[in-house]
Amino acid sequence: MTNRNKLLFGGILGDNIVLSGLMVISPVIICGDTLKNAEALIYAFSAITFLSVLISSFVPRKLPYTAKIIIYAVISALVYIPVRLAALEFYPDSIGRIGIYYPLLAVNSLIVFQTEARFFRMKKLDMIISLIFCIIGFDAVMLITGFLRELLAYGTINSKIADVNILTKGFAQPFGGFIFLGLMCGGYRFIRAVVSKDSSKTRSGEDVSDK
Amino acid sequence: MFLINELITLLVANLILSQALGISTIFIAAGSKKNLIGTACVITLFTTVGSAAAYAVDSMLPYDMKDLRLLLYTLVTGAMYVLLLTAAYLLCRGKYTDFRKYIHVSAFNCAVMGTLFTINERAVMDSSLFTLSEYVSAGFEAGIGFIIAALILTAAYRKLNLSKVPASFRGFPAMLVYLGIISMAVYSLK
Amino acid sequence: MLKKARKERHIWLDIMITLLTLELMSYFYYGIRSVVLACVCIFTALVAEIVSLRFMKRKFTADDLNCTSDALILALMFPAIMNYKIAAIAVLFAIIAAKNVFGGRWNMIFSPAAAAYIFVLTSWNRELLQYTAPHVKTGVFETPAVLVNSASHTFDLTGTMDHTDFEILLGNFSGPSGAVSILLLAVAAVVLMFRGSISAGAFIGMISGTGFFAVVTPSVASRSDSLKYSLVTNMVLFAAIYIVSDVRIAPKRNYYAFFYGLFIGIISYVLVLTSAKENAVVIVSVLFTPIALGFKNLEKRIELAVKEEPAAAEDAPASGEEAAVDD
Repeated sequence: MTNRNKLLFGGILGDNIVLSGLMVISPVIICGDTLKNAEALIYAFSAITFLSVLISSFVPRKLPYTAKIIIYAVISALVYIPVRLAALEFYPDSIGRIGIYYPLLAVNSLIVFQTEARFFRMKKLDMIISLIFCIIGFDAVMLITGFLRELLAYGTINSKIADVNILTKGFAQPFGGFIFLGLMCGGYRFIRAVVSKDSSKTRSGEDVSDK
Repeated sequence: MFLINELITLLVANLILSQALGISTIFIAAGSKKNLIGTACVITLFTTVGSAAAYAVDSMLPYDMKDLRLLLYTLVTGAMYVLLLTAAYLLCRGKYTDFRKYIHVSAFNCAVMGTLFTINERAVMDSSLFTLSEYVSAGFEAGIGFIIAALILTAAYRKLNLSKVPASFRGFPAMLVYLGIISMAVYSLK
Repeated sequence: MLKKARKERHIWLDIMITLLTLELMSYFYYGIRSVVLACVCIFTALVAEIVSLRFMKRKFTADDLNCTSDALILALMFPAIMNYKIAAIAVLFAIIAAKNVFGGRWNMIFSPAAAAYIFVLTSWNRELLQYTAPHVKTGVFETPAVLVNSASHTFDLTGTMDHTDFEILLGNFSGPSGAVSILLLAVAAVVLMFRGSISAGAFIGMISGTGFFAVVTPSVASRSDSLKYSLVTNMVLFAAIYIVSDVRIAPKRNYYAFFYGLFIGIISYVLVLTSAKENAVVIVSVLFTPIALGFKNLEKRIELAVKEEPAAAEDAPASGEEAAVDD
């Protein structure tokens, strides 16, 4: 894969914002315990992030950094209002379940900081493609987390009872989210190292952290 | 005995360990002592002053316009961001570059915004908490909670980044599992 | 390095011998079920260790057998009638999430058994804290008809203990299968301390902390009873030996280890007294992991400073000589 392709499509596997960048992890840890929550979060995150970054890309780049950060945050806070109103129509139960993490999605670091550091250095079309793949990356993690934690903690799949003998209630709790996400991050890095045939690097003990 | 109970209460109410607010920021802060002190102080300042401002917003905002809360909190945080940068520039020019870094990291993140929303949520559920002093003390407590969580992570930071840790888990993943186990112990105290 | 490895093996052997005697006592009270439970835990630990070491691209050696002692500690903290699947999941958690994710025996952060115990406590509270009475022997695949609360639970809530001192010494009261044999535990503590297989500082600190607070702020009318019962209930003695004084976790220097143990003892006693939290010592020992790590960091710094001091002293006369030559 060329560097440009990596930059555009890497949001799902190569440079996943949750598993690699550790961005927007609070909602995944706290609310990612059922598929229903995952769906609602996916909707809110996708809508808020896509619209906010798109609108923010029209902010003049010559403005001072601080001013731009505040403007990006204000734009996403404005975008949050119609998204929340729409959610009341389509996902009425989700808002109560997700609670304070709904508005917190609007100040996620992908919008506030990554726009400046990553997206606005690209051409508009490239930026949109890269952004969409970043959002899909988040959505995929959210779905996997919601599915597995719901299955392990409640023994259900999208509220339908599945045949699970032993329920590990802890996975529905915040600490379960921390541990699950930590293990998932490790698994993701392991797979990434295997896929990129970089096992020699892993063996030699060289740091593969994302920093 | 009273002190021990208070400490345990503070730990159980910790927003980072119980609600995962500001996790990304804490990973940055725990990297070095200098970063930890700088970020923790600025976050505490933001949560404390921010909660006072949030009280003002909450008392003026009618209930049917609650959708505007995020926007108003954002504006308030933005104003604090500018004021703090200006104050840092005017008061300690020599160290402005260092300070600026912490202010940028601390202004718009889940630790600050999450604290404001959590305080508001508690006040909605229990009207006795809807006072300026309660807001400010809750904001300050959240800042202290951030410092405690950062100290917990700092103690293990070196060990979690050693070459002995499997490459796939070194750094962030090990930190998440570590915080998860501590959070589990805190949860079991409830 | 070889000496260190040998020492590690001796520690493991000492710990295993004392744990096996506790397991024997457990067999006497609860029958074959407790032995099968221990075997399930040990087998799962071995499999988990071998698999995770393969992922870490390391070979399984005799030193890696210390996973079995962690598994046995965990088995002895469980009721004898614990569901095997839950026990297996707990051991997997101990070996993978609480140990090997951080680098295994080369880089221990938590006591695997303590972390796994809390994991079970948060997910299967009822299964963990309900026991069969002593001498009620359950078959390998039987479900017991009557379950009782532990004597610790009754003591924490009511301040009463319906057992004679003799029964307490022999472990003839309901509780975790291996953590109630007080006489055996006391002997194990003395033996392990003298052989240097546990941290003496942490053990003495823990017992002093609990004992001191039990006397100063007694949980029952009589101070001597408060001291006695606070040491024998809530797995205090068991945790003091196998969790708090674990040489892989506790600070190396006895001076620091003493304070580490002391604070664990005090805080767990206060927790039991104020909120009747059963077996609080295990939770507190995990919460004190950052403190242990902090002490260890401090010890490393002191070691470094001590190493640098003679080097600096050697440099000083040399520079003095140079100055004399310049004159």
